[in-house]
Amino acid sequence: MNPRALWPRVRAFLRPPRTLKITRAGRTFLVVTIGVGLGALNTGNNLLYLVLGVLLGTIIASGVLSESALRGLRLRRLGTESAHAGEPFAYRYALSKASGASFALTLSEHGAEVSGEGSLAYLAPGAEAVVRADLTAPRRGPKRLRGVKVTTTFPLGLFAKSRVIELEDLLLVYPRRGYTCADPPEQASGPVGEGGNPRRRDGTGDLLGLRELSFGEDARRVHWVKSASVGKLLRTEREREERRQYTLEVEGLEVSEALDRRCEEAAAIAHRLLGAGHEVGLRAGGRRLRPASGSGQERRILTALAWLGFGEAAR
Amino acid sequence: MSYQARERLRTVLRDLAAAAAFGSMVVSGSVPLWAVAIFAMSLALALFGKRILEGRGKLAGVGLGLLALAAFGVVLLGRLDLVVAACAFASAVTSYRMLSAMGPAADRQVLLTGVLMLSGGAALSGDLLFAPFLAAFALLAIPALAVGTLDSPMDLPVGPVLRHAAAGAALALLAGAAVFIAFPRLSWSLGARRTSPGLGGATAGFSERVRLGGQGSIKTSPRVVARVHISPEPEADRLDAYWFGRAFDTFTGREWRGAGRQLAPAPSIKLGPSGTEMLRQEIELLPAYSARTLIGLDPVVSFGQAAAHTQGGTGRTQLVEVEGEEVRFAEDALAYTYYAYSLAFPLPRKERISRDRFLSLPEPLDPRVGALARRIAGGERDPLAAARKLAEHLRSEYRYTLELPGEVEDPLADFLFERKEGHCEHFATALAVMLRTLGYPSRVAGGFFGGERVRGSFVLRAGDAHAWTQVFVEGRGFVTVDATPDANRAGQPAPLLEWLSLRYEELESHWRGWVLDYTLRDQIDLAYALVRPPREPSVGATLPPLRAWLAAALAGACAYSVWRALTRRAGRPRRHRASTLLDGIERILAAEGIERRAGETTEELSVRLASGRHPWAPEVSRATRRYLEARFGRRPLGPGEREALLEGLRRSAPGRRRV
Repeated sequence: MNPRALWPRVRAFLRPPRTLKITRAGRTFLVVTIGVGLGALNTGNNLLYLVLGVLLGTIIASGVLSESALRGLRLRRLGTESAHAGEPFAYRYALSKASGASFALTLSEHGAEVSGEGSLAYLAPGAEAVVRADLTAPRRGPKRLRGVKVTTTFPLGLFAKSRVIELEDLLLVYPRRGYTCADPPEQASGPVGEGGNPRRRDGTGDLLGLRELSFGEDARRVHWVKSASVGKLLRTEREREERRQYTLEVEGLEVSEALDRRCEEAAAIAHRLLGAGHEVGLRAGGRRLRPASGSGQERRILTALAWLGFGEAAR
Repeated sequence: MSYQARERLRTVLRDLAAAAAFGSMVVSGSVPLWAVAIFAMSLALALFGKRILEGRGKLAGVGLGLLALAAFGVVLLGRLDLVVAACAFASAVTSYRMLSAMGPAADRQVLLTGVLMLSGGAALSGDLLFAPFLAAFALLAIPALAVGTLDSPMDLPVGPVLRHAAAGAALALLAGAAVFIAFPRLSWSLGARRTSPGLGGATAGFSERVRLGGQGSIKTSPRVVARVHISPEPEADRLDAYWFGRAFDTFTGREWRGAGRQLAPAPSIKLGPSGTEMLRQEIELLPAYSARTLIGLDPVVSFGQAAAHTQGGTGRTQLVEVEGEEVRFAEDALAYTYYAYSLAFPLPRKERISRDRFLSLPEPLDPRVGALARRIAGGERDPLAAARKLAEHLRSEYRYTLELPGEVEDPLADFLFERKEGHCEHFATALAVMLRTLGYPSRVAGGFFGGERVRGSFVLRAGDAHAWTQVFVEGRGFVTVDATPDANRAGQPAPLLEWLSLRYEELESHWRGWVLDYTLRDQIDLAYALVRPPREPSVGATLPPLRAWLAAALAGACAYSVWRALTRRAGRPRRHRASTLLDGIERILAAEGIERRAGETTEELSVRLASGRHPWAPEVSRATRRYLEARFGRRPLGPGEREALLEGLRRSAPGRRRV
């Protein structure tokens, strides 16, 4: 067997099934418990031994109840709409448990370059709850998600017990959202993409006509009065007075801070140009995206920029 | 339940837990009244949701600082015990946090100071009531903390949380008991305060004089004031014995006094000659006893090995004999323990007494008293026979009552000729004075009558306090003659109270035996009992010994664990046989350095290999297609087919291809 493939298994085998972290209140509780224990040992007062017994018994009960809260959990990843580097994004999990309730759960990614967590106060037995976590990835690129760390502070809030549920997935983090000062120089004009329609009916000039709104088209083009009279959404077609095409070029293939900044800049420019109705293309890492307009094109550009430098192997 | 309702529930549980912790200190009776008042007021305000110190942290801090200084000063002046001062200060801190802003931090501080108060309660007393307060604290604090972990503004059901928390609290108590039993006792119980004033104050005791005419309400008190372990142990459950405390020789007409001379303190006092059959009594006078007079089974021969229990600890104390009257402890304390030795049977005794001292009569004495005595005695020459005749007359002609009108001019004449009813002091006085009018020396003795068995000991109640007469008989000394009707000598508490107090005393006895006096020796004995059969099989026992129960419980737990593991294993979904084929394919490919990319299916992998004209492509494609058919196409793998496919794949490896 490949030693490199063996190592994760060994590491998984050696990893303790549960990890325990003491909260601030828990540290104080332990200090008090140790103090009572020392007092009992020093004085031989049996009632202090009794108090010590109840305090230690409380710790044992805490361990048992927290284990019951973590055991039997089933988890699914629901994912996210989009994730940009450096800003929180909503990532959803579906959590369920066949029998017994769970309380005070916190979900976070384990072993991934992603921070943040989501919480669930009560998970009813047999029901599936959707947990929204606010995650943040520091840098763009594909992030391999290995498992989800489920933590509970139930029942006393003195200890945070965690278990890791192995659940692999890939999260693509788009470049950080930023802004740019000036437009890049215009590249060319020509019949490419949606702008290739010679009638240029997506401008802001004179009205050319009405047609039914297609899926994914900008709702701001809807002619609401006519739509209301006909009973379906109609969009206006106006003569395009200006049409510009841009092709953004990002140089470099090696993942670095500089490449990240270039990607962020390209993403920001693309966002602004596409928002203005222009057609934007991309040339980066030996790949080329033909200029086109619309939110779909922005997503394609962001995806290409997120993968830039990570190569095929990462896919 | 809404967030606000949960917050309210959490704080109420928290405050009640703090009250339980405070109660564990209060049962000792040592907590100053001002601390009790402050805490009670704070608790009431907190339960009504009035957090008057919210936003006034600085003011409260200054107040607590001043309180700490004042408490420290009082301790330095020696007017307050350090532990008591620390407990009172902890309760003040708890009060402040209960009245300040709500929140998890305040909760934890309240409960942590609650633990400190419990520790203070453990240090202050060994009272049985400590146990329910400790249990109540656990049962309230754990649910309070559990509700606090539900940090969500949403409406949530609290019932499941409380159920889990209650189970956790019960588990904590059980585990606590196990820890208590198993935790090795590495030191002697030197710092424990076995004695505290307790609640309820003193209920019985002796005074320098006995004044006739008082109310007899103490006779109905069921409170236990003394515990006695007698060796050899009597067989009877009720002793109905006289426990001599002190004697009174001078009657003024309204009250009895003593005129004895106080001797030098000594570690032990011998009052008479020893006999061959002695009763050894290990006596514990409880705080409710509240007197310094020693008692012992009549006739007492000697007292010794006295220890005084104060709030500061336990120490040896000297004994002081007041000649002909009593033996008393040399110093004040909350409680005492000592040994007393008494004769099992009265022996002939040569005793010289001052006859005048025991024949003196009050001036003036109603002449009807002497006349009555002469009429009843009928010229009897023997003092004991005369005493018995007089006592019989009093028992038959007079009625026992605890309800008296109060002060009268001549209580003895009022008892003998007017009301013809009274309590033990009237009967004893009447008999003693009538004997003196006949010229027989006599005195009134005070002490207890009774003794009820509780486990291996006997207890005396406050209601067992009694007075009787002793007549001097040449060659025998003072002999007890009791004129009080038989049924009215011992205590007369209400039956329910008597039953309850006996049960409480039994519990307290168990508490002392199993908790307060639990030592390393008990742990060793327990361990031996678990692993060794009893040396002497108990007669009439029908149940198996404890170790058998424990072994059965352990075996049951093991069997249950195995059953759970097996059922869990059986319930686990079995892997599809085709999936094992896929695992095999991937294992062989991985061994040759071919791995699937992220998100790449097996089918896509085979296409990639084919497009790259990889030598394994045909075999991989064949195996993949067969896997897909078996897994999703309802064409299961035949016997040996999986192995054949994998073998074909292995054979296609460049280095291993067979010719």
